[in-house]
Amino acid sequence: MTKTRSHLLAALAWAVVALSLLPIGWMLLSSLRHASDIAAGEQLSSSLALRWENYRDLWVNVDFFNYFRNSLVVCGLATVISTACALCAAYALARFRFRGSHAASLAITVTQVIPGMLFFLPLYMLYRNLGESWGVQMLDTYRGLIFLYVALFTPASIWIMRGFFVAIPRELEDAAVMDGCSRFGAFVRIVLPISAPGIIATATFVFLLAWDELFFAWVLTSSPDVQTIPVGIRLFINQFQHRYDLMMAAGAVSTLPVLLAFFAGQRYFIKGLAAGAVK
Amino acid sequence: MAMRKKRFDAFPYLLLLPAALLMLAVNLTPIVQGFTMSLLKLNQFTLGQYLDAPFVGLDNYRRVLFDADNPLRHGLGLALRNTALFTLTVSVLAIGIGLAVALLMNRDFAGKGIARTLLLLPWIVPSYVVGTLWGFMWQRDVGIVNVVLVDWLHLLSERPFWLLGSNSFWAIVIPTVWRAWPVMMLIFLAALQSIPEEPYEAATIDGVSRWKQFLHITLPLLKPVIVIQLMFQIIDNVYSYNIVSMMFGQGAGYPGEWADLLMPMLTRQSFNYWLFGQGAAVSFITMTLMLVFVGAWLKAFRRSMTGDD
Repeated sequence: MTKTRSHLLAALAWAVVALSLLPIGWMLLSSLRHASDIAAGEQLSSSLALRWENYRDLWVNVDFFNYFRNSLVVCGLATVISTACALCAAYALARFRFRGSHAASLAITVTQVIPGMLFFLPLYMLYRNLGESWGVQMLDTYRGLIFLYVALFTPASIWIMRGFFVAIPRELEDAAVMDGCSRFGAFVRIVLPISAPGIIATATFVFLLAWDELFFAWVLTSSPDVQTIPVGIRLFINQFQHRYDLMMAAGAVSTLPVLLAFFAGQRYFIKGLAAGAVK
Repeated sequence: MAMRKKRFDAFPYLLLLPAALLMLAVNLTPIVQGFTMSLLKLNQFTLGQYLDAPFVGLDNYRRVLFDADNPLRHGLGLALRNTALFTLTVSVLAIGIGLAVALLMNRDFAGKGIARTLLLLPWIVPSYVVGTLWGFMWQRDVGIVNVVLVDWLHLLSERPFWLLGSNSFWAIVIPTVWRAWPVMMLIFLAALQSIPEEPYEAATIDGVSRWKQFLHITLPLLKPVIVIQLMFQIIDNVYSYNIVSMMFGQGAGYPGEWADLLMPMLTRQSFNYWLFGQGAAVSFITMTLMLVFVGAWLKAFRRSMTGDD
């Protein structure tokens, strides 16, 4: 292959990168403009100073921090609990053949084809009845949202985690059990430490999914003490249709935590994603 | 682990228990109750009784499918058409672009690793942010799309309304593809890197063109990945909700006859008209169709997915 051709293709690759990042750049730029400049269509004018106050406004005047905190609490806890449930279930499915293991695998596959959203009303009624008949408040509480997210995202996490467990040779656990370790002990002390990459990948995956959930957060919560970021943004659009400056600032701020989570888990996550998909 | 002879072993069941209970509560029970609901007359007067509401048999199904005056049916036809077109367009574009860029990235050039990471960024942006961001970009007067197309490139002589009429179909397709293709690229890139170089070397010696090499070596080897990713894309896109509902006002609003998809339509009409029994009937029909589709897909491509053919 000629050198020119190779340079051209490299240039093309970078052009694709630049093109695909333009909308994100546009979001950041608009988040630093005055609403009136955006309305006048002048947000590209280079004479304008960057308005970092927009981010302060978002924090102080719109109380975005409230939604931000709720999202962190709900998605953070959902990630921890869901990953833990998925670890146990995936280990059972990867290591043991038992009566019902096929049915469990099938049920997990089926839940991937039928999202919880398709049957939102039974879930809503379940939550309402738990509150009215049993005194367990699930609507408009952290625990209601966390429980739902854990349940929604556990099946897919089991699938990812299972792939990691299958790749681990079972001789290690056998040796530990021979040495007098209980099987659960062997799972916790031997298998989990060497599965750290898989656990990080699974947790990153759950966090990204939970952070992106809009519908149930919208239906199941009604007070600002519980509502998460997507609900906050939706309410904001309702109220201030033309404050694109703040909307874009909110978008940038809500991208930050998932971006950090992604970079933290990137090494394992990308590998897991690629491996899980190719297999 | 030593084989125990037919003794009941509780350990795997205990490990599976938490996940099984969760799935029972949030996935399986609602499906059964959803089916029951689809046989009941559930409106604002009977919702309080919930599962004790009057039984109407298959009437909800009849009204959803055949009753011309029914608001839910009216929306359903358009939403189904849009969802089918949307799913097909987005899935094919996401996979096509993902594969093309993966081929472009599967070579050595300066900063390759950074480029790969940067390409994933659109996928990191939460979909509700994608909806608001592109909703802003599509604005007729202040949106950047019209600034570029009309003011800079002069491709169009007047500013189109992107969020109205049939343009709104593309207004939801493009952001969805923008967010979906990076992952496809990543997956194809991993698959490309697992292909050995020998067949290409042999083909080059035989004077086979690069395009023919792609058609006869690369594509067949990628077929298992394409088949499974296409299926996941189709499932994802059929249930698409966030981008449409954030782009068009508060989501309770009507996105117009070219941008209304199944899930936004279903949730909106159920709440607006209190047609929860009929909504459940639509959910059940959708579920059945999707299960049949996935079952048929897996059966048809089983051999190519396990790499036996």
